[in-house]
Amino acid sequence: MSAAEGTEKGGAAPRMIVDARGSWCPGPLMELVRVIKEEPVGTEFELLSSDEGSRKDVPSWLQKAGHALLEVQNESGYDRYVIRKTH
Amino acid sequence: MKRVVVLGGGIGGTTVANRIRKALEGEVASGQVQVQLVDREGVHAYQPGYLMVVFEKMRPEETRRDESLLLHKSIQLVKGEVEKVDGAANKIVLKGGKDLPYDILVIASGSVIHPELTPGFVEGAHSFYDLENAQKLRGALHGFTGGKIVISVAGMPYKCPVAPLEVTFMLDDYLRNRGIRDKCEIHYTYPIPKVFGIDTVAQPMQRLMGERGITVHIPFNVDKIDPAAKSMKSVEGDTLPYDLLIAIPPHRGADFVGASGLGDKGNWIPTDRYSLKADGRENIFVLGDATNIPISKAGSTADYEAEVVTQNVASMVRGEAPTARYEGRVYCWIMTGLAQATYIKFDYLHPPHPPTPSFAHYWNKVIYNRTYWDLTARALF
Repeated sequence: MSAAEGTEKGGAAPRMIVDARGSWCPGPLMELVRVIKEEPVGTEFELLSSDEGSRKDVPSWLQKAGHALLEVQNESGYDRYVIRKTH
Repeated sequence: MKRVVVLGGGIGGTTVANRIRKALEGEVASGQVQVQLVDREGVHAYQPGYLMVVFEKMRPEETRRDESLLLHKSIQLVKGEVEKVDGAANKIVLKGGKDLPYDILVIASGSVIHPELTPGFVEGAHSFYDLENAQKLRGALHGFTGGKIVISVAGMPYKCPVAPLEVTFMLDDYLRNRGIRDKCEIHYTYPIPKVFGIDTVAQPMQRLMGERGITVHIPFNVDKIDPAAKSMKSVEGDTLPYDLLIAIPPHRGADFVGASGLGDKGNWIPTDRYSLKADGRENIFVLGDATNIPISKAGSTADYEAEVVTQNVASMVRGEAPTARYEGRVYCWIMTGLAQATYIKFDYLHPPHPPTPSFAHYWNKVIYNRTYWDLTARALF
């Protein structure tokens, strides 16, 4: 699935998992832009991406759009970006 | 008798119905299995043809066929609009009150364009995502003598992710052929900080745009269109005036998906990316644009997915485990001019690497456009 409510972390609100591994077209960042538009302010997302280009694109777009990049974890074969919609 | 019901008479629904019939030929012939396809109008649209209509490379009538002529004669075509899927009772409820029971359901209901979701779109933008608007855009371009043309994406997800690239390059060629390119500006906007979703495609495409004098505005997420002022505003705070705007409208899944409790906020159906089963449903498969899988909403995707769904449906009918897996295969051409193209071919594990654009790749696309009805829709090969 591309977007689903994931596990709770530390009692916080559930994070939305955006599993964009293997999403070469339209691409992980396009998926992230889409779900951020749809969800309310304060929502946290975990974007999973196997596209190396995301390492540059995701922080760059988040900075421009003004949303928060909370964490980046390198997993086996993909990266996990934890993001909060701030406005 | 086991009933297999397919919802949707587009690329995915038509080809999967024909493939399932073929895979279960003996069972269908003997009456052990019935295959039914539900479609609202009974008219099949070859949607990739709309862009060709804009640039007069296909005639409008070449994009439509009677669905009954594409389905094998043993498949029953049910003309009607789906109100909802009653998963608990294993039946489809059609508008007007008729029920259609199923043992296995395949949902191929595609995506629906919603230009009204972007303020000003209906009054201010041209598009080519339905035949009527493609013809209007063709007329508008024919009468265009110079000025600023803007290409933009007004909502996500949208089908055929490469279409904004294609219309941009074809437009450039079209204006050159008419001898008015020097009187025109072409501006391309995209919602992320590059002209396409991943570097292997974005980099060569942005290079081509530079060579052809196309101005790029990235990232640009359309907030609203002001038809009176002929300008467009982005959520990033930028304003872009235009003389002619070509925009990709917002898309959503089919209404009945929401009414059935099967979809997410956009009426896309959460679907297992490998088995293509709807999440939590053992006898419902989903393919094509209707899924929430984060890959191209494109005919090619539906075609490859149909192979997997066919195998899994046939296995289930025969009491076997549905073990076929969709590995994310997609193959799409990208028009880079009126007679030039490249392509992207990829799966979940392997990103695309488009080759140098050429006439040969374009010609392959022309051949596919001509053979689509037999090759894909009728699934004769």
